[in-house]
Amino acid sequence: MKPAPFRYCAPETVDEALELLATGDPEDEVKLLAGGQSLVPAMNFRLARPGLLIDLNRIAELASIATRDDAEGSILRLGAMVRQSAAEHSPDVARLAPLMGEALPSVAHTQIRNRGTVGGSLAHADPAAELPAVMLALDARMHLRSVRGERAVDAGDFFLGLFETALEPDEMLTAIEIDAASAVEGSCFEEVSRRRGDYALAGAAARVRLDADGTCRFARLTFLSVADLPVRALEAEQMLLGERPHDELLRAVAEHAARREIDPGSDIHASSAFRRHLAAGLARRTLATAVSRATAAHGATDHGGASS
Amino acid sequence: MTTAPADRKNSRDSTGAETLRVGREVKLLDGPVKVRGALDFCADLELRGVLEARLVLSPHAHARVDSVDVEAARRVPGVVQVITAAELPRKRPSSRSTLLLAGDRVRFVGHPVALVIAESEAAAQDGADAVVVEYSPLPAVTDLEQALDPQAPEVWPEGKPGASEEAAAHGAAGGGGTKDLGAPNVASRTPFSRGDVAAGLAESDVVIERTFRTAPVHQAYIEPHATLVVPDPVGPGATVYSSTQATFNVRDAVAAALGVEHTQVRAVGTPVGGGFGGKFVLYEPLVALATQRVGRPVRLVLTRMEEMSAATPAPETRVRLKLGARSDGTLHALDAEMVTDNGCFPASMGVLAGVLLGSHYKFPHLRVEGIEVLTHRASTGAYRAPSAPQAAFALESAMDELARELGIDPIELRLRNASHPGDPMAMGAPWPSMGLTEVLEAVQSHPLWQQREQIRAEGRGVGVAVGGWPGGTEPAAAACALQSDGTVQVHLGTADITGTDTGFAAIAAEVFGVEPDRVRIAKADTSSSPYAGASGGSKTIYTVGPAVIEAAQEARRQTLELAAQALEADPEDLEIQDGAVNVKGSPDKSVSLATIASRTMRFGSRQAPVFGQGRHAQQMPSPGSCAQLAEVEVDEETGHVTLHRLVVAQDVGKAINPLLVRGQMAGGALQGVGFALYEQLVYDEQGQVQTATFSDYAVPHSTAAPPELDLIVVEVPSPVGPFGARGVGEPPIIATAGAIGNAIRDAVGVRLDHLPMTAPRVLAALAERD
Repeated sequence: MKPAPFRYCAPETVDEALELLATGDPEDEVKLLAGGQSLVPAMNFRLARPGLLIDLNRIAELASIATRDDAEGSILRLGAMVRQSAAEHSPDVARLAPLMGEALPSVAHTQIRNRGTVGGSLAHADPAAELPAVMLALDARMHLRSVRGERAVDAGDFFLGLFETALEPDEMLTAIEIDAASAVEGSCFEEVSRRRGDYALAGAAARVRLDADGTCRFARLTFLSVADLPVRALEAEQMLLGERPHDELLRAVAEHAARREIDPGSDIHASSAFRRHLAAGLARRTLATAVSRATAAHGATDHGGASS
Repeated sequence: MTTAPADRKNSRDSTGAETLRVGREVKLLDGPVKVRGALDFCADLELRGVLEARLVLSPHAHARVDSVDVEAARRVPGVVQVITAAELPRKRPSSRSTLLLAGDRVRFVGHPVALVIAESEAAAQDGADAVVVEYSPLPAVTDLEQALDPQAPEVWPEGKPGASEEAAAHGAAGGGGTKDLGAPNVASRTPFSRGDVAAGLAESDVVIERTFRTAPVHQAYIEPHATLVVPDPVGPGATVYSSTQATFNVRDAVAAALGVEHTQVRAVGTPVGGGFGGKFVLYEPLVALATQRVGRPVRLVLTRMEEMSAATPAPETRVRLKLGARSDGTLHALDAEMVTDNGCFPASMGVLAGVLLGSHYKFPHLRVEGIEVLTHRASTGAYRAPSAPQAAFALESAMDELARELGIDPIELRLRNASHPGDPMAMGAPWPSMGLTEVLEAVQSHPLWQQREQIRAEGRGVGVAVGGWPGGTEPAAAACALQSDGTVQVHLGTADITGTDTGFAAIAAEVFGVEPDRVRIAKADTSSSPYAGASGGSKTIYTVGPAVIEAAQEARRQTLELAAQALEADPEDLEIQDGAVNVKGSPDKSVSLATIASRTMRFGSRQAPVFGQGRHAQQMPSPGSCAQLAEVEVDEETGHVTLHRLVVAQDVGKAINPLLVRGQMAGGALQGVGFALYEQLVYDEQGQVQTATFSDYAVPHSTAAPPELDLIVVEVPSPVGPFGARGVGEPPIIATAGAIGNAIRDAVGVRLDHLPMTAPRVLAALAERD
C-alpha cells in the first residue's frame, strides 16, 4: 500500500522541529515521525493522512540514554528517540529500571524494537502497548517541549485516553526521566498475548518494597490492555501497604484490582470478562514475583550485597 | 528436529530395485536464489510502460449499486483509466474469476466495483480513493447457520451459478446431488449411504454424538495474488504473467474473457510465493480486459487487506456426527453431515466431505452428507487438503471420546477399524493401496506414545489423530532432450510450488543415468510447454512424474542408439556413466554425452537430435495417510495452550527427495497448528472482515512451532506412482488439529469442539468442567 500524499521535512535539531511544529500545516494534521512502527503502517493503510510529516530521526540529541545523581538518588534519562532495542540492551536501564528491562522483550518483535522508539510508543499512547503501563508503574516524568517552553508531566497525568496524551499540538515529548529503583525493591512484568510479540490481551506490572520484617511500604500495580488507557490500581496498592503480603492477600488484592479498578473492552480476540480474568491472574502473579524478588533483595542487602 | 529413517543410501523403488538418484537428499534447485532475494516475482517484473491497478471494493456484504462516479478519479494526476462494469462485457458470472466487476449488485464485502489504472501504485490508490459509489444496503446472509434458514435472503435470487474450476483438480468432480435442498442458499447436498444407519446406531453399545465447528481460514501465502497482462501488439490476445498454480487454467480463463482462442493467450507462470490451493485463477481475466481498454500492460498486486476480503479463503464448516460402536470396539454406524459455507459461489466439494468423513474407518452402516451453503461472503477456494482437516478434527475428536467411553487405547481402536486396500470408501468404491495402518503403527511405537502415562503425570497431555487425502489424477506430457553440453533438458508445463522441479530432476537423472545437477528443468509458458494440470491436489509428481520417466527413457534409448553407431557396439552392451556412454567392460570405448548431442546439432549432420517424449494419464489415485501425535500443556489460569511436541508419520509411497518431503511434512503440520490454535477469519454480523491484517489474523510464528517436531517418513509404495511415490503436500495438515484437541482433552479433561482452540475457548471449557 502507498500513503496519501504528504509533505515531509527532516530537521536536525529539536528547536527546528519545534519551530516546524509551531508553524504547523494550515491545511492538515501534522505528525511527528519517530520509529514509524505504528504511524507508517497507519499511513500506508491511509488510516492516517497527515499533511506534514516531521521526521525526528536525524535529531541526535534525542537519542541518548543518560544517568545522573541527585540528593534522592540516581535518575535515568531516556531521550524520546532512544530505540526500544537500545533500551532493552542498556545496562543502565537494567540496573536503574529493571521493570522496563523485563517488559521490553514483550514489545512486538526484535525487528520492530530496532526501529521503534521509547518516546514514540509513549506519545502514541496505545493502551495495549507495554511502555505506557510500565512508565505509570515507574512514576516516570515526561519532558515536553514547545517553542513556548518546557514542562514535566507525571506519567499519571500524561495518558488521558485512547491514543490521547497531555501533549499540546505544538508540543513534543523529548525525554523520559525515571527515579532509580530502590535496592530493596522487587518488580515484575507479565502479559498474555495470542502469539509472542502480539499486542497483549492483558498485561500487568508490579513494584513492591518491603521492610526488613516483610511489611510492604511501597507498591505499584499497573495494567495494559484493560481500558482506554494504562491503568494504575490505586486501591489495590493501598490494600498492600502496611501488610505482610501472603498468597491469600495477593489474591484478594488482584481480584479487587480486576473487579473494581479496570474497565476492559471486548474485541474479536478477547471479551471484557476474559480480560478481567486474565488481569486478576496476572496481577496476582506479578505481585507474587515482585514480593519474592523484594524479599530476595533484602536478603542480598542484609548481607552487604547490592546497594544503590 | 529429528527424522527417521535418516539413512537411505540404498534406496529402492516400488519393485524393490535399487535407485541411485531418486531417494537422495538434494537441496532445492531454486533455494539459493530465493534465500538471496534475487528471484523476481510477478510484482518485481520490469517491462516497458507497465501501469499499476487498484481495485475499488464493496464495503457492503449485500447492496444495490446505485451509481459509480469515476469523474473525480479520472482527474487524479497519474490516473489513466477507471474501469467499471459498464466498460466490460455483460456476462453472467459462473465463478469468481468471471465475476469481474459488480454491475447493479454487490454480494460480499470485497466485491470489486471498479478498477483504477494509473502510472504508479500510489496514483492508482489516490484514484481508487476518489471513486464515489452509492449503495443501497440490502439484507445479507453472513453466516452458515443463517444460510440454512429457508427464510434467509437469497444470495442469487436470479438462480445459482455453476461450479468452480478448482474442484476437479482436487478430485471432487461428480457425485449425485439431490433435488430437495431445503433452503434457497443451499447449493448442493451430496449424500452417501450404506446399510441402515438408524438401526446401526440403535444396535450400537456406545454412541458419541457431537457437533464441531471450524473457522474460515486464509491460505496466508507470503506473496499476495499478482498478475501482469501485456496486450498482444498485433492481435487480440495477450501475455499473462501470474503467480499461479494453474498456468493452463489461467490461459483458458483469460482467453474466454477476451473472446479469443486459447492459444492466442500465452500464460507465463511466475514464481509462486506460496499458494496452498488459493492461487488458481482470480483477477487475471479482469486485468486482461482492462489491458485491452488501455492498450498498455497492466499489473494488479493485491494488498494484504485486499487478500483478506477479496481473495478466496477456506470455508467455515459445521460437522454433526453420531458415531456408534459395539462394546468390543468395533465401529458399527456413522451418521454425519458436514456443512461448508462457500461464500457467494459454490465450490463443488460436497463429494469430498462425505469421502473424508466416511472412508477411513469401516462402518457397516453409514450415512454421510456434504452440504454446501452460500452466503454474502467472498467465495472460498482450496486450501491444502480442502475439507480434510475440518472432517478429521470432527471425526478424530469423536473417535477419541469413543475410545474413552469404551476404555480402549485410542490407537488400538483406530487400528482395529481402519480401512485397508479393497475396503469400501464412503461412495462404495474400493480403497486402492494405502498406508493408513502403517502410519498408525509408526506413531504407536514412538516414545511419546509409549511414555504418555508419565507425561500425563507431569501435567501434560498426549493426543493422537489420523487422516488422509484421497489423491487426484490428471493427464500430463513431458519432453526430454540431450543438449550439446551433455546436460539433459526436461521440458515441463508445471508450476513448482513445493520443489517438484527438484524432484523431476532426480527422476530424469535416475532414468537417464546422469547426476541430478546435469538435468535442467526448462519451463517457459503455455505456448511452449507440454500440458500439465494445476499444481494442486498433491498430484504433481504423481501424475507428471510418469510422463517424465517415459520421456527420459525414450531420450536414453535414442542416446544409446547414437552411441552404438559411434562406438560400433550393440546398444544392449552400453551403459551411461559419468556423463559418457561406455561399452560395458571396455572403459576405453567411450563417447561423451556432449559429443553425442553435438553431433546431432550441426550443419549437415545425418543424426537426429535426442528428443524423448512422454505422455501419461494416471488412471487411479494413490491416497496418502498421515498420523500425528501432539504433546501439550494447558495453563489453567490463562487458557493458553503450549504445544511441546508434534510427531508426524506420513505414508509418502516413496520419498523421491526425503529432504523436501520432510519440508512438506513440517510445513503442513505447522499450518495445521495455525488451524488448530490460532487462525480465524472473523466476520461481523454485517459480513465485514474483522481480521484484515496479519496483526489480527494470527498465522503461527516460528515461536509457536513445537520445540520438538519428529518427522517419520513411511513408505508403502504406490503400485502406479513414479518409483512408488504418492502425493505428499496435502496429508500433513489434516490430523494436526485433531491430535492437539485430543492432547488438550488428555491434559485437562475438556473437549474443545470449535476451532481455533484459543485461550478464551479453553478457559470457557475449563469453567464448564469445574
